[in-house]
Amino acid sequence: MTGLAARITAEGARLAAACTACGACVTACPMTPFAPGVDAAEPRVVAGGMRALLLGEGGVAAEAAAWIAACTRSAQCNAACPEALDVALMMRFAGMRARGATGEAPRYATRPDPGWSSRVKAFARVTLTEEEQATWL
Amino acid sequence: MAVTVHPVPDRAVFWFGCNLVRHGEVIRASARLLEAVGVAAETAGGPANCCGATQEASARITEGMGRRTVDGFNARLAGAEHGQVITWCPSCHMNMQDVMAPVTPTNFETTHITEVLHARQDRLRALLARPVPVRVLLHRHLGFQPRVPVNSLVADLLRLIPGLTLVDDPLAVPGHMCSSLSSVPGALAAAQRATLDAMAASGADTLATIFHSCHRESVMLERGRPWLRVANWIHLLAESAGWPVEDGYKAIRNAEDPRAALGEAGMAAAGEAVFERLMEPELRKAPVV
Repeated sequence: MTGLAARITAEGARLAAACTACGACVTACPMTPFAPGVDAAEPRVVAGGMRALLLGEGGVAAEAAAWIAACTRSAQCNAACPEALDVALMMRFAGMRARGATGEAPRYATRPDPGWSSRVKAFARVTLTEEEQATWL
Repeated sequence: MAVTVHPVPDRAVFWFGCNLVRHGEVIRASARLLEAVGVAAETAGGPANCCGATQEASARITEGMGRRTVDGFNARLAGAEHGQVITWCPSCHMNMQDVMAPVTPTNFETTHITEVLHARQDRLRALLARPVPVRVLLHRHLGFQPRVPVNSLVADLLRLIPGLTLVDDPLAVPGHMCSSLSSVPGALAAAQRATLDAMAASGADTLATIFHSCHRESVMLERGRPWLRVANWIHLLAESAGWPVEDGYKAIRNAEDPRAALGEAGMAAAGEAVFERLMEPELRKAPVV
């Protein structure tokens, strides 16, 4: 494994090894109310699931997967972490692994948008001059 | 919060990302503002300069797209003493720092346009001569602020505009920008309701968006609310500078008939099939609140 996949795996594991799964990140997260089951779950279990995912372990609770899927990069987790970990980066890498980025079976389906490039170019044709399109894109 | 002040670049690229193409006038005005503060930057964006944010289900594809973009910037900035890539989009900025630069070596610094303009705000003062008498609620998000203090930086820049009042309301909604909220059921609606409540409580008549996806999602708040204007911070700076900027996306998005609003020329440019399949669903999407 090289490149970005290696970085996600190695850096994610390094951060996870320092994580105590105290759950402070879950408590501080403003998206918790929007993640099914997380409000009612024990924060330690949810945080532990995120840690387990980054360590490539099994036993990732459904609530943990839901919490990771609901991350909108609010970054309140970083301020709350008593270990001063980059929890936002952990969540980013956990999300990518959960989607199958490093080759594992995805834990939840992604919604691919195969038209995004064509859509961007279409809006560009409408909003930019031909010279701007030729020079900027 | 400490603001990182980067050295003045001898060469720079203004990297506007992909989705800001919906707002061509913002790209132009941003480039013009950079020039006004003494930063002559090449302008680059679109799918050929993508950060890979849309492909995160595959590290291989994300890495490939990121490498292509970094290699392109390295080539543009080769030989520069203080080469800079000046970002607009917080997703692009975070991608550069978290997944692109750690994997593909860069010969440039990454900075955000708010940092560049804020560090050189003295050059903006003389430019921002026209009063813009509005009462503004700044649309803040929690997420990008710890990395680049955009909420504080944009607030300071807006205070340079004569006649503009920035209301003192602490609201900052979750996420790094509205596109992240839109993928979580209920989250964007909750944020927009909180925003409307804050505007009512503070007497604000203008919602100033910072990022493009926030602008895209917020413009529909004007529907049925004639007292409310949604403008991007760049729109407000341009207005004070006396530069003509028309919010074309808002006009189409809030039109009864986006096709008619786009007009013959716009439809011809977009292409009928592409408009129908890729643009019209977005332009006809119902308001969230």
